[in-house]
Amino acid sequence: MNTASSTNQLTTLLDNQALTRLERLRLQPNRRKTNRTQGEHASGKGGSSTEFADYRNYVPGDDVRFVDWNIFARLNRPYMKLYQYEEVMHVAILVDASNSMKFENKFERARQLAAAMGVTALMGVERVSAYVVGASGEPPRVMPPSSGRASMRRLFDFFERAECGGDAPIDGAVEAMLRRHRGRGMAIVISDFLTPASLARPFNLLYSAGLEIFALQVLGPTEIDPELTGDLRLVDSENGTTVDVSSIDELHGIYHEHREQLQEHVRRQSRTRNGRFLSISSEAPLDWVLFDLLQRQGWLK
Amino acid sequence: MSWTGFLSPSWAWLFLLIIPLVIVYFLKLKRPRFEIPSLVLWHSVINDQRVNSPFQRFRKHLLLWLQLAILLSLILAAMQPFLRGGPGSSDNLPILVDCSASMSAIDTQGGPSRMERAKERITELIDAALPGRICLIAVGAGARQLTEFTNNKRILAEALDTLTVRDVPGNLVDGLRMAQALARRETIGTVTLVSDGNFPDLQETADGQKIARVDVELPFKLQFEQLETDAVNMGITAFNARRQSAAGAANRLTPWDVFVRINGSPNDVTSGEVLLEQDGQEVGRQPIALEAGQSKRLVYSLQTSGVSRLTARIVSDGFDGLSSDNTAYLELPVSRSLLVWCDTDLQSYRHALQVFPDVTVYPNDDASGQPDVYDLAITETTKKANPNLEASVRLVIGAIPEDLAQLVTTRSGNSPVVDWNRSSLLLQHVNLDSIEIADEPVRGDDVLDQNFREAGYEILATGRSGPLVLARHAPGRQAFYLLFHTDRSTLPYRVGFPVLIKNAIDITRHAAGLAEVRGQPTRVLAPRLLDRNTTYTVAAPDSSTQTFRTGPDGLLSGVPAPRVGIYRISEDGSEVARVGAGVLDAGESSLASADLIEPRDEELRVSASTTQIDTDRPLWPTLAWIAFIVLLVEWWYFQRKTIRASG
Repeated sequence: MNTASSTNQLTTLLDNQALTRLERLRLQPNRRKTNRTQGEHASGKGGSSTEFADYRNYVPGDDVRFVDWNIFARLNRPYMKLYQYEEVMHVAILVDASNSMKFENKFERARQLAAAMGVTALMGVERVSAYVVGASGEPPRVMPPSSGRASMRRLFDFFERAECGGDAPIDGAVEAMLRRHRGRGMAIVISDFLTPASLARPFNLLYSAGLEIFALQVLGPTEIDPELTGDLRLVDSENGTTVDVSSIDELHGIYHEHREQLQEHVRRQSRTRNGRFLSISSEAPLDWVLFDLLQRQGWLK
Repeated sequence: MSWTGFLSPSWAWLFLLIIPLVIVYFLKLKRPRFEIPSLVLWHSVINDQRVNSPFQRFRKHLLLWLQLAILLSLILAAMQPFLRGGPGSSDNLPILVDCSASMSAIDTQGGPSRMERAKERITELIDAALPGRICLIAVGAGARQLTEFTNNKRILAEALDTLTVRDVPGNLVDGLRMAQALARRETIGTVTLVSDGNFPDLQETADGQKIARVDVELPFKLQFEQLETDAVNMGITAFNARRQSAAGAANRLTPWDVFVRINGSPNDVTSGEVLLEQDGQEVGRQPIALEAGQSKRLVYSLQTSGVSRLTARIVSDGFDGLSSDNTAYLELPVSRSLLVWCDTDLQSYRHALQVFPDVTVYPNDDASGQPDVYDLAITETTKKANPNLEASVRLVIGAIPEDLAQLVTTRSGNSPVVDWNRSSLLLQHVNLDSIEIADEPVRGDDVLDQNFREAGYEILATGRSGPLVLARHAPGRQAFYLLFHTDRSTLPYRVGFPVLIKNAIDITRHAAGLAEVRGQPTRVLAPRLLDRNTTYTVAAPDSSTQTFRTGPDGLLSGVPAPRVGIYRISEDGSEVARVGAGVLDAGESSLASADLIEPRDEELRVSASTTQIDTDRPLWPTLAWIAFIVLLVEWWYFQRKTIRASG
């Protein structure tokens, strides 16, 4: 299952069967970072939900409707019944749409994963907002916070129309997103994370904004295992800079070391902020990623 | 001396091409562009690799290094480097080339001759020694300088092309003496001798080595490049005939014993047949089988009625390495009486001559039949005193040669014979003891025997005060001088007197070729008595002709005979004589090779070197191949890179 192109499909990004399975899944944040608005996530504070939480002494001014009259009859003292307060969690999905994502189906796979995450968030009655950042200096394409099953169509439309192109680094994309995003919850960042800058600053910003970081790295097969040989002039797709490499086949070992170092860096930056990191290949089957890998990694349940 | 050198060092200026090559390389270097998502990882990889690999720059410009390698190889090839193997290129190098008969031998059936192989090796030597100066010297019966010292390869090659084998024994001494003479006017460090080692008079040392002793001092280093030899040969080394009896002129047929000596190879068994032809008709055929180093004499008997030409041929059963010694020629003269002039006053001599039936003594009663030339003249006067009397052998009684007038005089007195040469042909079996001689030849003061020898005379008998009998040998002429008159001695009354006359007759008969005939060897034709002051043309077997003129004595001498075959002597187109020449040399036919050459100074003994000539090895072909291979590697590397990149 890659791209559902049939006219009977709800979206071109995901087929209906996958959507059906996604509707039964929920995002699994490590910590509940919710907002004051009422939602599906119990806040720990007293609330108006049907879930009983605790008792407390009555103080003047309390709503007498929440006095437990049975206790009052037995003890002749008024006690207030406290119910769990369920708050809504914001799920911000950031998709890197820079030029580097054009290669080897990376952006297509990022859109599919973003849509899938968005579906699970919407079905979990979360407020979902989406950002696609391409060129630096330009405002990101934004899907305003939406919730409910009815927003699913809007979500799909947003990602279906998303285009790739630009030179925005992932750290700049995070800043661009945070300039517009409000609300705590989780930030799902889908990118190749091929940036020379440290990810400490953008991840700090996400963390301080109350967003739990879900970093999902999408790499092409040649990025995972380049099979280049000879002398080449490598051209950066984002900024056009070049580097001459001789006997490139002798550098594969070093390349793998540096790729693994980069992945470890992103993982470490995520984990130190109670986040998660996962790297996948753009050629990996989507079903396997959604219904096997992400569940095994505890991203979805 | 450096172990390497360059023949064309001036091409080193081509090294300047490295500069534009490097510039063009960096200006024109084009790598295939390959777009990738991000250079982030590759930047860190390159930075890391530069730290870890000090040869990154080399690897990065591998193509440049390959191109530089090609250019350097080509430039070095243009400079023509060589590994020095032989003599230095700045030396003068005389090369002695043996062109004696054995050099025409073929060591393997169908293979090249020794001379052809020698030419190949000399060509290598020339290539190696250039631009040094080389002088080619051919060593046959004598030494001939083929070229002056030159480094002109064309001249040397032409001289080498014209060099042919001469069917004569080699004369190494002459070649070395010529090199010795050259060393007086040129700086010569080494002389190279290219030969099969077949030199005359080889001697065998105690350890079995064959050694050629040459009585020459060597002021240079002699390098003896010996050709490998392994030939089987059987050759005619002597071809003689002897008249069986003293048949007179009255006999119509003259019987002859003909002797043919055959020599075989020193290391191989040979066999075949020996054919004898008389005037083109086969008159004898004898099989022959020779053990290694064996020699056999075959005897044939035949009769002649006039001049008869004999040819002996060997028909070998197997492979025969040297063909030139398979044929020999002999001319049997017509039988006739010996013509002797004897002065009428010499009655004792005339009386003694009467007992020889085949001798006609002049002057006789038949005045009309006197010949112009006599075989023997017995006179009381010297030739100078009687120039009209022509004779091959002259016996002068009681007269002193004019050119010895200052050395010896005659006086009256008793002069006993002190000593005489008993082995001389004239005095053999003649007892001169107790002979009384009334004339006493007296040598002048301070005159030594050496003075007589220097004048060309040999002392055969010596008296108390001076020489009694002298002999003088000249080509075609022999003269014997009895400085005392026999009539004033007791010699005519001794038994030795008719023996003396008999000896004179024998000498004359041999000189006239009436008693024994020897085959004519190559080198120089024997002097021949022909018309006086006449021009003759001598046509050699290879059709080359030379013109010679006889002197007042009518002697045709000094005719070179370098090849086996018939030499035709003609006057104005008409043939007057025919002489066949053969190798007739046991040394050449044996094809034996010397292992050592020992000059006068024994410490400078030279060993033969049969290994490949240690010549300068040119390196430019190797460098050209290296350049070509590097070019292929570069092409492969470049194509491989392009294919991978485009793929």
